[in-house]
Amino acid sequence: MNIAVCVCSVPDTASVVGYLDGAIDSSRVNVVMNPYDEYALEEAVRFKERVEGSNVTVFSFAPDSAKEVLRKALAMGADRAVRVRCSEGELHPSDPFLTALGLSRTISGFYGALLPDLVFCGKQSTDFQSAQVPSMLAELLGMASVCGITSLHASGDFLRVEREIEGGIEAVDVTFPAVLSAEKGLNEPRNTSIRAVMDARKKTVELLEVSLHEEPFVVLSGIEPLERKKICCFVPDEHELLRILSHGCNLL
Amino acid sequence: MNKFLVFLEQREGIVKQSSISAWNRVQELAASDGNSVVSGILAGPVDTGQLDGALAGHGVIYHAGEDGLGVYNQERYTRVVADTFKREACTALFFADTALSREIAPRLSVRLQASLLSGSPTGEGVADGVSRRVYSGSFLASFVPTRQPGIYILSSSAPVPAFPDGGRINFIDMEPQQCSVEDLFPVVRDIIRSEGPPDVAEARIVVAGGRGMGGAEGFALLEQLALLLEGAVGASRTAVDAGWRPHAEQIGQTGKTVAPALYFACGISGAVQHLAGIGSAGVVVAINSDRDAPVFDAADYGLVGDVHIVLPKLIDLLKEFLKKQ
Ligand SMILES: Cc1cc2nc3c(=O)[nH]c(=O)nc-3n(C[C@H](O)[C@H](O)[C@H](O)COP(=O)(O)OP(=O)(O)OC[C@H]3O[C@@H](n4cnc5c(N)ncnc54)[C@H](O)[C@@H]3O)c2cc1C
Ligand SMILES: Nc1ncnc2c1ncn2[C@@H]1O[C@H](COP(=O)(O)O)[C@@H](O)[C@H]1O
Repeated sequence: MNIAVCVCSVPDTASVVGYLDGAIDSSRVNVVMNPYDEYALEEAVRFKERVEGSNVTVFSFAPDSAKEVLRKALAMGADRAVRVRCSEGELHPSDPFLTALGLSRTISGFYGALLPDLVFCGKQSTDFQSAQVPSMLAELLGMASVCGITSLHASGDFLRVEREIEGGIEAVDVTFPAVLSAEKGLNEPRNTSIRAVMDARKKTVELLEVSLHEEPFVVLSGIEPLERKKICCFVPDEHELLRILSHGCNLL
Repeated sequence: MNKFLVFLEQREGIVKQSSISAWNRVQELAASDGNSVVSGILAGPVDTGQLDGALAGHGVIYHAGEDGLGVYNQERYTRVVADTFKREACTALFFADTALSREIAPRLSVRLQASLLSGSPTGEGVADGVSRRVYSGSFLASFVPTRQPGIYILSSSAPVPAFPDGGRINFIDMEPQQCSVEDLFPVVRDIIRSEGPPDVAEARIVVAGGRGMGGAEGFALLEQLALLLEGAVGASRTAVDAGWRPHAEQIGQTGKTVAPALYFACGISGAVQHLAGIGSAGVVVAINSDRDAPVFDAADYGLVGDVHIVLPKLIDLLKEFLKKQ
């Protein structure tokens, strides 16, 4: 079984994303694998461990600086890691369509006439948070898709997956080939052993180029930092809190 | 002339409140530009009488009421929306932000070669662009479409306009689709409803707890409070990872984004990853024993104290208060 995993790199939540001249300043940012992509990769590797003769290839449309993230993917159990770059220059990550198009062209080229049996993605990236790439990629590849899965069981030709919807859980049957995007709760990603990290160092991160020659569907027209701080009014006791919420704010 | 199409989502024959709000917001957009008509697409068998008086403005709603669309099917839903959009030569398509729309809107974007934007419209009149929180809620980004048509997923945080009555909606029944259901995967096999309280992402009041609740038992207090307030219980990641609460209740960067009118953070320290989920909340109340907890910097009202002492008192007072009402 051929399994593809799409991963992107995002700023580590602990690092401070700066703001300079109306744009994001990532110079002091440490990049890590998008947390949802860790669930996606973990599920792919577990699949491979269950189904003999499977292989897992990780794809990331990213600048050279994302190499470390791809190495981590190898240490977590991926067989191959491919960094994708656009031959017309760097791609801005704010347009999900171009990202999906680039990934679909890469995946089609990589597997030749065959489509991979499964493509795992994360539910969303934590930087631009579009949650659009997986469904767009599925549409471009002509595959079925289920977004935000929290459980997966293979039963013969079917995959039985579950995903959270408003007020409940939807149980969905899907056949191969399919694109699945992972939600937290799907699994607990493994810790990589020192040995696995050392072995991953010896592997190469492959590089593929795709030509896009398309206009983006959306462009980022501006970005500004949000001031989260509020001025907290401390109340002395429960009486006062209730009085404010009921009379002052009219919320109860 | 702009022709707006609004997707109306139903589950088990009930049209979702979030779709009704989206319709009313699109009517407002249309009214302010004065050069637009609004129509709707409703997939699945629904007694349209339930919409009497709920939908503002004038317009036509195409009702694809065949049984095969009763349960969500990704490909059939995508087709019925795409077909209606093309047949009526619409210029923009609108969705409420739900699990379903997040799945089919990106497909429609590719299929219709349309710009897809999710967030809150920034313009006054015709929806040109949107803004949305990015980087875990620490920045506000604006996006503009580069092509016509546009597809919009409207975030639920914006207030819904109050409309004067007097609108008239015509329902038009649509012919069943020509396609065999069997080969259209994925299919929804079952829906397991969570019992009782509303979903955190939809509730008007959210009562959330963290490590400071001390354990699964501590959350009984929050359940009581939520029940009295007709709200939902939420949790920090720590509380979820400890197994005290299900993941569906987690709020934050790797959980849900919520936009309630009132949010209680009880025994939650206020880590950035948690606050990322409550950026659109209205009034935030924090209850914490540590006066220096960062959560107070994100709160409108704070009460310093032990949740195990504060919450029972608050619950008793609230019961009295509600009895008097
Ligand atoms: C990639 C990543 C993603 C993450 N995503 C999320 C997410 O989506 N959501 C999320 O919540 N977190 C998330 N986190 C975790 C986050 O960083 C914090 O660790 C977590 O939010 C802390 O939870 P807490 O506030 O319940 O616990 P703590 O930080 O331990 O805080 C407990 C608080 O309770 C107070 N307290 C203790 N006892 C009492 C008492 N008896 N009465 C009153 N107050 C008391 C303490 O003063 C303290 O402020 C993420 C972290 C990472 C790295
Ligand atoms: N540049 C990229 N390279 C590879 N995969 C990506 C890229 N951007 C997004 N993805 C995948 O799409 C998912 C959703 O991202 P997004 O739609 O940007 O929120 C991510 O979790 C990844 O699995």
